[in-house]
Amino acid sequence: MIDIRHLYKRYHNHHGSQWVLEDINLSIPAGVSVGLLGRNGAGKSTLLRLIGGMDTPDRGEIVRASRVSWPIGLAGGFQGSMTGRQNVKFVARIHGANDEIEQIIAAVESFADIGRAFDEPIKTYSSGMRSRLAFGLSLAFDFDVYLSDEATAVGDRHFKQKASEAFKARIGRASLIMVSHGEGVLREFCQAGILLDRGRAFWFDEIEAAIEAYHSAGDGYAPPRPATPRNLEEAKRALAEANVRFDAAREALDAVGDSAAETAEPPEETLRWRLDDARERVHEARRQVQQFTARKGRKGGPRGQERPPVNNTSPDKTSAKAKRS
Amino acid sequence: MADSMLPITGARPRGAWRVARSVWFAMFMREAISRTMADRMGWFWMIFEPLAIIGVMVSIRGLFMSGSEISGADHVPWMIVGLMGFGLFRENMMRALGAIDANKGLFAYRQVKPVDTVLVRCFLEGMLKSFLFLMFMLIGDLLKFELMPDHPLGVLLDWLSLWALGWGAGLTVSVLGDLVPEFGRVVRILNLPLLLLSGVILPVMYVPYPYRDYLLWNPLVHGLESMRVAFFPGYHTLNDIDMTYLWFWALSLLALGLLLHIRFAARLKAH
Repeated sequence: MIDIRHLYKRYHNHHGSQWVLEDINLSIPAGVSVGLLGRNGAGKSTLLRLIGGMDTPDRGEIVRASRVSWPIGLAGGFQGSMTGRQNVKFVARIHGANDEIEQIIAAVESFADIGRAFDEPIKTYSSGMRSRLAFGLSLAFDFDVYLSDEATAVGDRHFKQKASEAFKARIGRASLIMVSHGEGVLREFCQAGILLDRGRAFWFDEIEAAIEAYHSAGDGYAPPRPATPRNLEEAKRALAEANVRFDAAREALDAVGDSAAETAEPPEETLRWRLDDARERVHEARRQVQQFTARKGRKGGPRGQERPPVNNTSPDKTSAKAKRS
Repeated sequence: MADSMLPITGARPRGAWRVARSVWFAMFMREAISRTMADRMGWFWMIFEPLAIIGVMVSIRGLFMSGSEISGADHVPWMIVGLMGFGLFRENMMRALGAIDANKGLFAYRQVKPVDTVLVRCFLEGMLKSFLFLMFMLIGDLLKFELMPDHPLGVLLDWLSLWALGWGAGLTVSVLGDLVPEFGRVVRILNLPLLLLSGVILPVMYVPYPYRDYLLWNPLVHGLESMRVAFFPGYHTLNDIDMTYLWFWALSLLALGLLLHIRFAARLKAH
């Protein structure tokens, strides 16, 4: 349970400057994962930092009746001249671990999976190794609420998969508050949503409703809800639609980039995210189509379901041949 | 897979004092490791640097002021005591000046406050300097340098007073230097005049009579001279040396520094 009461925040504490967040009143129930939505500069990351206690509000308060993490995957706290192991030990000590230190180190070591580099100074790490270590560190502690900001949570695709699996394993015991432009990610992890618009916050019990409200608050663009197709025809139609949308999104982004490069960045950013989302959907639709085609191919083949179809084994042979040659 | 790798840390929320203590311990270990191990030959320089400074200072004195004697003390031990005492104050202040900026990344963990970084650095610095001083005394004694204090308890008290003064200056300077970067620059520039005006190299007894009153405004003069009086039997110095005056400064600076840290905690974390 996190209670936010009459929260005000602004940067550059001059009296003329605008509030980034103005009179926010929210109560985030325990065990509910929440997605933070809003345009660039709407104060999503600021709100997340305030919830995490990294920043202090100008007025109002945040009551945390649970253990809240630092933003997942944050690598800023690492000391470059010290080894990964020493850095992990440091964070474990801050969080009051005495006897559990060895356990935490072992957990991070196995999760980060960076081998012997764990005992090398952090400044020798690549950015990927850094983020693996940071991810492992966040997940080695048993927090009630994890914070995630897409700006800090980076990593390669495979590792992200691993991290999200590890996180899903603890749903029920822990929840997530995340900032992301990727609607797919929000749908995947969150139940509820908070929309930030012009310094105000609006709570939605359903993440879908929040996403819709986010789009209608913008320029009226609303992508359709993703629906799972039932047969090949529907899947093909979805793919075609997704392709059209993807082309439209790319054209929109190109048009902005051509006409007014320096006027306003925020709309361009939004368009870029939209393009990413559209690309994601095209991939998803293509995957659906492939699934249906594969299923159809199996049906068309020999009747026996127990025996693997002949055309399924042949690719193995060819690949084996390719390896040999 | 995931469930086996979840150690549970602290089922109940910790109290404020316990959080502060574990932060201090963690920061202390971190600072100690990065000070001594992370640098190549960190240990060597820690011992050799003050030795080199003392060597340079002593040879300069030998070249330019040979023949001028300090009443009641041999001039090498006299200078070692002065340089060590001044170094304790200065290092506390200067290390604190960079403490907040160097640990900016740590404020992502909300348990860590800016004041913790300064407190831990000053503590570590004092411990290192004390260890060094003790080592110099032992080695000096073995080399028959007369580096054993006459009144060990008095020296200890004066040493702790200088430490407190450095600690207070560090707390104050760390906030001001972070809020106003120019301030840090000015403090760095003031280092050398302060060294000359504190009676570290030039004995205060050499200062002409009319100017001695102004010299005594500097609390460091009181601390250093008092320590030398406790160190050397029969050492003769100014009559107006007063440790109460130094403690007045030390406590004021400590209070001011802590107040500044409370007042500007959010600002220090933010930028």
